[in-house]
Amino acid sequence: MVKSAPVVKSVLRKIASILLLLLAVLVLNSVLIYAAPGDPVEALVGEMGGATPELIAELRATYGLDRPLWQQIGVYLGNVVQGDLGHSLYYDQPVTTLIASRIGPTLLLITTALFSAIIVGTILGVFSAQRRNSTLSHFVTVLSLAGFSAPVFWIGIMLILLLSVSFPIFPISGMTSSDGTTSTLGYAMDVAHHLVLPALTLGLIYLAFYSRLARTSMIEVLEADYIRTARAKGLSRRSVVYKHALRNAILPIVTFAGLQFGQVISGAVLVETVFAWPGLGTLAFDSILRRDTPTLLGILFFSSLMVVVMNLLTDLLYRRIDPRIKTS
Amino acid sequence: MFTIFSANHKRLLPLIVAAFAASATLPAGTAFAEPKQGGSLTSFSTGYRTLNPGVQSGAATGAPGSQIFAGLVTVEKDYEIAPYLAKSWSVSDDQLTVTFDLVEDARFHDGVAITGEDVKFSLETVKANHPFGRSMFGSVESIDVPEPHKVVLNLSQPVPGLMLSLQPLLMPIMPKHIYDDGQDMKKHPRNMEDVVGSGPFKVEENIPAERLTLVRNEDFFIADRPYLDRIAYPIVKDPLTRVLMLEKGEIAYAPFSGIRPNDAKRLENVDGVNMTTDGYDAIGYIHYLELNLRDKPFSDRNVREALAHAIDTDFLSKVIFGGRTVPGTGPLHTGNLFYSADTPHYDADLDKAASMLDEAGYPKGENGERFSFTLDIPSWAPQAHVPMAEYIQAQMAKLDIKVELRRAPDFGTWVKRISSWDYEATMNGSFNYPDPVIGMHRHFDCDNIKNVIWSNTQGYCDPEMDKMLDAAAIETDFEARKKIYADIQAKAQQDLAMIYMPQDFSATVYQDGIGNLPDSPFGGLAPLTNVYLED
Repeated sequence: MVKSAPVVKSVLRKIASILLLLLAVLVLNSVLIYAAPGDPVEALVGEMGGATPELIAELRATYGLDRPLWQQIGVYLGNVVQGDLGHSLYYDQPVTTLIASRIGPTLLLITTALFSAIIVGTILGVFSAQRRNSTLSHFVTVLSLAGFSAPVFWIGIMLILLLSVSFPIFPISGMTSSDGTTSTLGYAMDVAHHLVLPALTLGLIYLAFYSRLARTSMIEVLEADYIRTARAKGLSRRSVVYKHALRNAILPIVTFAGLQFGQVISGAVLVETVFAWPGLGTLAFDSILRRDTPTLLGILFFSSLMVVVMNLLTDLLYRRIDPRIKTS
Repeated sequence: MFTIFSANHKRLLPLIVAAFAASATLPAGTAFAEPKQGGSLTSFSTGYRTLNPGVQSGAATGAPGSQIFAGLVTVEKDYEIAPYLAKSWSVSDDQLTVTFDLVEDARFHDGVAITGEDVKFSLETVKANHPFGRSMFGSVESIDVPEPHKVVLNLSQPVPGLMLSLQPLLMPIMPKHIYDDGQDMKKHPRNMEDVVGSGPFKVEENIPAERLTLVRNEDFFIADRPYLDRIAYPIVKDPLTRVLMLEKGEIAYAPFSGIRPNDAKRLENVDGVNMTTDGYDAIGYIHYLELNLRDKPFSDRNVREALAHAIDTDFLSKVIFGGRTVPGTGPLHTGNLFYSADTPHYDADLDKAASMLDEAGYPKGENGERFSFTLDIPSWAPQAHVPMAEYIQAQMAKLDIKVELRRAPDFGTWVKRISSWDYEATMNGSFNYPDPVIGMHRHFDCDNIKNVIWSNTQGYCDPEMDKMLDAAAIETDFEARKKIYADIQAKAQQDLAMIYMPQDFSATVYQDGIGNLPDSPFGGLAPLTNVYLED
């Protein structure tokens, strides 16, 4: 009980700084986006196939775009502070509803991709760190180079060509088949079947990253004095690697996982577009093209929220893994 | 006293009779196999914000919209007008009163009977809300419903293209009992949720991010139709993904497939996959180089002619588009009813172009250039506009004209530039749609020089042209009207109001085993009532 008081205090301090940070993000985003040339009504009218000047004026008035810029931004910020992210100009729905309807598929995609990448990447990294000049180690190096430098949409298309067209194992796009399966198990299997390729594509970048990170960090740790001490004590190799080395080597991985979980939406934009995955990424992409300002701002706000929340959680997780942080 | 009414009424009577017979007994089309009931067809969509074609134009809304909603008539092969919700119609001698008799047992998907009040409501809604509402129905002064199944349109002046506009794509019959609640029609929630029409298919599932699924309307007013049980439209935005899905057969029927000529070659080599460029005549998708005529040097017609001599559209269509398109010869698509090939042609001749520029007062300057300009490239048809713009840039360089290409990052940016007239030149394109009054007049009418995209943004104004446009708009004799439009096309090309590029390469990709694909000039935007799957 006594020990938890400073933790609570530091968490509270963190939350306060997070709120300030979010406010800053919000102001910056909205100023930038509202100040960009072109407005949503132009895009809307273009998509409708043209319109009369009267209709354009009417639409501008409906969406409040006829007001001065600073007023528009002011109204928007005021609404967000009250928990109202506004109304999508394109879908004519509250932005929160829109985001809620798209968040599921995106979370499914990024958690699958990120967790498999972390697990597989760490395993690969740990193995290759122990045998630095083995074939596996070289393979990991090449894989991480390729995965890190190849554009994600290219990887996606190549995987489709290989695993959907040449060897038709997985469907090319979408999240479900159109034949309308009714059972829950059938639905889950269907989604899982569609999930493999996009998750693999997104996961490959992170796999490259984590295998590299785990390898470097493991090599570093394995050379540390306390590992030599552990070995000298006569502990088994297994115990040295997994109990002493890995626990320390894993810290940077946790840090980056936390940071990246928030940022992974940006990677999801491209993957979701290539695979027609109905998530936040496609929504963000479309909103940019359509100048759907409230939706775009809503998604940006939501992702920054995710980033800070994940940072906070990482922080807490850190305290569990690394006892030194608790005391400092 | 009454005559059958149409844009081309001389050849219409036998066709109407044939169409009656066809819709009652035989499916239109050329398949030999006996059509059979059942099966599911997978098409695709690039995404839509509404399913109601009454408030939005374009293929994304129109393709499914024409299945969900019925119209008064359909437009069949060779532009013949066939009865649909209207079983017959007649026109007064002065062409100012049009009377429709409706099918009596037609019902909306929610079971409510369709009456003349729904027709009246729909026409008024389209007139007020559709982007072409005023050009289609601006002359409809009032609408009477003397009996529940009789509708009378009173016109202020004859509207020769009226019947073409009464199909589901442009004038869907909307349920008055659902929509007439005072809400703004363009934003009405029922345009997306629980959409009710009276067409051959009903909405089963509408998940805008993922898929639209339509199922057979069991109570469709045409007996034993449609043949298909369901049509699925998965949302596929990425063009490359779409090509792969077509190749693998995950999409069986793709009108407005958006493929490039290179993809076409690839798809043609796949067993079981077919491609056709039929079904785009009515939409009439043309491309052009639009020059801002307000400022020098493009205000000078001779400069424009020099440019026309430097741009070899024949080369463009043959080499750059692999011979899959034809050069444009004027403002109308070759598939339009009023198309005329008899327009001034500017031979590819760089020497002539150079000497014309010298004479026009644009000799090579000290910096080695005659002049320079920025050419905007819109974001919405890069597969066509980017190669065109790059070719123009190369040709202009040969004339010592420096062209800077400016690719729009998104739709809104380009629209803003062009509609505020803040540009020098842009690649552009538009639809004929199909009556010239809707799709062509807007580019030439002096009254339509507006800050609106796809109006007369280049600022062309000529009193003689205006006079011809006005005459063509109300001429009801088909041949006489055709003659006026031939003159208009010749004049547009003479004045070089725009420099026409090759027409669009629009293609439908489809799998083997689909019978009775629509042979309407509207192609995939027509109802798929008679489409069936072979065994």
